[in-house]
Amino acid sequence: MLRVPLLIAISLAIAFGGGIWSTLVALEATIGFGAIKLGAWEAFPRAQTADADPYAKSHRANAGKLLYGTAEGLTFTAAVDETGARLDGNCTYRMTGHTPPARLWTLFTNDANGRPPSESAELPAALNSRTVLRGANGDFSVDISASAQPGNWLSVAPHQPFRLVLTLFDTPTAGSSGLIDLSMPKVQKIGCGNA
Amino acid sequence: MLKILLAIVVGLVGAALLHLVIVLSLPYFSDRDAYSRVISEGEPFTFHILEQKPDDAGLAQEDPFLETAVCSFDTEERPVRFSAGSGVPFWSLAVYDPASNETFSINDRTSSGGKLDVIVATPLQATALRKAMPEGLNQSILIETPLTQGYAVLRAMAPQPSYRPMAAAFLSSAGCLPAEWR
Repeated sequence: MLRVPLLIAISLAIAFGGGIWSTLVALEATIGFGAIKLGAWEAFPRAQTADADPYAKSHRANAGKLLYGTAEGLTFTAAVDETGARLDGNCTYRMTGHTPPARLWTLFTNDANGRPPSESAELPAALNSRTVLRGANGDFSVDISASAQPGNWLSVAPHQPFRLVLTLFDTPTAGSSGLIDLSMPKVQKIGCGNA
Repeated sequence: MLKILLAIVVGLVGAALLHLVIVLSLPYFSDRDAYSRVISEGEPFTFHILEQKPDDAGLAQEDPFLETAVCSFDTEERPVRFSAGSGVPFWSLAVYDPASNETFSINDRTSSGGKLDVIVATPLQATALRKAMPEGLNQSILIETPLTQGYAVLRAMAPQPSYRPMAAAFLSSAGCLPAEWR
């Protein structure tokens, strides 16, 4: 007697539960299609345009962030290191190399809520192309760690996953189609814990 | 047994449909999108400078080195003119429509003389302006867009703390005002 209502209830539960859950996961996990991936870094040069895919439009409507226009800059984020392991505040990472051509760049970390550090904090939680110390040929090496490091040091909160955000300003990268030839700095893990 | 399987399959198809419906319709119903937040910042035709922490409207400076200001506008009656001086190492302006699609963006190197002077107008206003450019507007960059509403984001870079007063002065002197067009 109760077979048919039960079957309908199962269908409806799966439809609504699954539909809402999958949408939340999809909007949380990705900014959309059309990412350019360079090693651990990814960027979405078309996320703010009218040509953005439906997922990108939905994501930006839900996140409500002020995105960068094409002439402004392009934001690369990295949640993993070169080997694909999640970036974690327990470990020390070294970021080395060059950025693609850009007039200026800034580097900082986002916490789990996607918030940048407050720049007035006592620790160096953000760097930019004017303050970074460079090698003789213009490359740089930044140590990302919760404990103090010599040279360029980007401090992170201990015991928390984080995300690196590298924004290139006034860069031809945003409009370039030859993105594959561009090189981004490498993010390598150099140790964990107190070792 | 077969009926339970059928119920599950129907449920999954429904879930997929619902997923698509939500993703496609969210941009039209969201009240947390950037345009709604810029509107709730306050008065239109004024640049509102954002704090480092999210304010009541939910907007904040996304980059610790970039001082940011937002301004919403409506060109229904008169075009809007964005103006600012120079004196910061980098500034940029992006104009968006209500759906947050980029209409136009510019930075200090792509502007004339490093100064910001941009007019956003409807096609009708733009035609009238081109015919008889009022005195003082002939250096401006004229942007034509059929959508009358939108918002603009102005960013000024302060690479070191000592630049911050300059960036703040740049943003607070920036104008987002209706312009005369006939």
